[in-house]
Amino acid sequence: MAERIRKEAPTVSDLRKGEVAIVGVGEVPTGIYPDRPCLESSLRSARQAILDSGLDKDEINVVIPAGTFFDAWFNTNLIFSRLVEELGLTGRASMNFQVVAGGASSSALLETAAGLICTGKAKAVLCVHSEKWGSMPSQEMIDKLATFGISEEWEAPYGLSMNAAAALITQRYMYETGTTAEQMASVCVALRKWAELNPNAMYRKPLTIEDVLRSKMVVSPLHAFECNRLADGGSAFIVTNRDRARALNKPVAYLLGSGSVVTHYAVSQERNLATLGYAEAASEAFEAAGIGPKDIDLVEIYDSYPVFNLMALEGSGFCERGKAGRFVMEGNTWPGGVLPMTTNGGMLSQGHTGTGGGIAVLVEAARQLLGEAGQRQVQGARFAVETATGGTYMDSHVTVLGTELP
Amino acid sequence: MSNYDKPLPQTTPWTQPFWDAAKEHRLLAQHCKECDRTVFYPKLFCPYCYSETLDWREISGEGEIYSFTVVQQHPPSAFQDDLPYVVAIVRLKDGPQMLTNIVNCDPEKVHCGMRVAPAFDDVTDDFTLVKFRPE
Repeated sequence: MAERIRKEAPTVSDLRKGEVAIVGVGEVPTGIYPDRPCLESSLRSARQAILDSGLDKDEINVVIPAGTFFDAWFNTNLIFSRLVEELGLTGRASMNFQVVAGGASSSALLETAAGLICTGKAKAVLCVHSEKWGSMPSQEMIDKLATFGISEEWEAPYGLSMNAAAALITQRYMYETGTTAEQMASVCVALRKWAELNPNAMYRKPLTIEDVLRSKMVVSPLHAFECNRLADGGSAFIVTNRDRARALNKPVAYLLGSGSVVTHYAVSQERNLATLGYAEAASEAFEAAGIGPKDIDLVEIYDSYPVFNLMALEGSGFCERGKAGRFVMEGNTWPGGVLPMTTNGGMLSQGHTGTGGGIAVLVEAARQLLGEAGQRQVQGARFAVETATGGTYMDSHVTVLGTELP
Repeated sequence: MSNYDKPLPQTTPWTQPFWDAAKEHRLLAQHCKECDRTVFYPKLFCPYCYSETLDWREISGEGEIYSFTVVQQHPPSAFQDDLPYVVAIVRLKDGPQMLTNIVNCDPEKVHCGMRVAPAFDDVTDDFTLVKFRPE
């Protein structure tokens, strides 16, 4: 059986470099809000993003709601233009359709929007998501998630859960790199430092490495505090073309480059469990952007479990292989550190809103570049890297954004 | 055996021979006659060369643990009574990787690189799951 065939490096430069920008973001608080309808979270996030962008709402001509899983009827509402009608865009919007790639929906939305804008088909695109996983009974969610990216023939009969899939990756990563339990736990601590500054985060009380390691073992080597907490939430962002973005006369977040690779469907078939595809994705993204890790001011890494932060830091070239745990434990990614990381607190502290967990991370990347991150603002942030992965970590996405063209 | 209440493999016509062989405590993988590659898990056609000329070959059950986890909390509902149990990815000598459970072993003793052999588990009259035990 052949090892995975490595993707070849792109031979043409990314045609979208600097051609599109995220110009507005919106978000509702993440947490347990049983009385807040998902529709409200979508609409409030969308409205805030449109108002934040400075565009007139009637300039939005494509609406892309990401997939929601808690309620099939609500999801079909999204497919069938409910938001267009609620947002007063009927007759203005030319297209409404759904995009969903699980946790990687952030990248899928941005890529789709960017493509439409570059062809001229879209002028301004609203990408929006909401979810209500936090209010669902937890065992029901565990069972539901045990069908996401998990094979009903080859994996489910052996009791694989989403937590267990992440544990398989974490175990192998620790085995290959020698990363310690303390270093792994320190990722959760670093994320909490940021969440303490985030009014939209679910968990804002200080956390220590000892707290993490004392929490119960769920799926070895992952402790309870190393497993994300499902949450209700919503977020949105607006993408438009360069000329329109410039005319707004405010900071915007240009798409400078992106790279990605799908490495598996079933986690049991992944032959590079301890690296996944971050290195390939990052080299593609940096090549397109024309800058490298040293130019980056902050990283917004998809963190449903702490191993992904370490793997993405190493794969993207911010740390040598096996050194990311120490780098994080030394506080380098904390507020005030040399490389601020996942500054909304991520899914491990802000909360995991399903496909929205990653969208919130992308929204935070844009928010930092727009200069709207409040107490979390990384001063002078010009270039940011954002990552995503979906399902049982089926794909690795790396995106480079910047306030200017390098 | 009829009381078995955990998920059973949801098979397809082209994967059924694997499960039929498992019932006989044999491990099969597909082999592509066109490009001479091993294909696992079974596919409708060869994912490498798109040939439909796939046949079946018995493969060795020898392998080693590529990764594992001891599930101690929050399993899928059907596995509540099994805690703790070991979920592992086994990499077989012949190449294929499989998700499985490690049985007949203290969960604390399981480790990456551990050599294992099949422990066929006849969970129902129709299905035998391919689990593994220390070699």
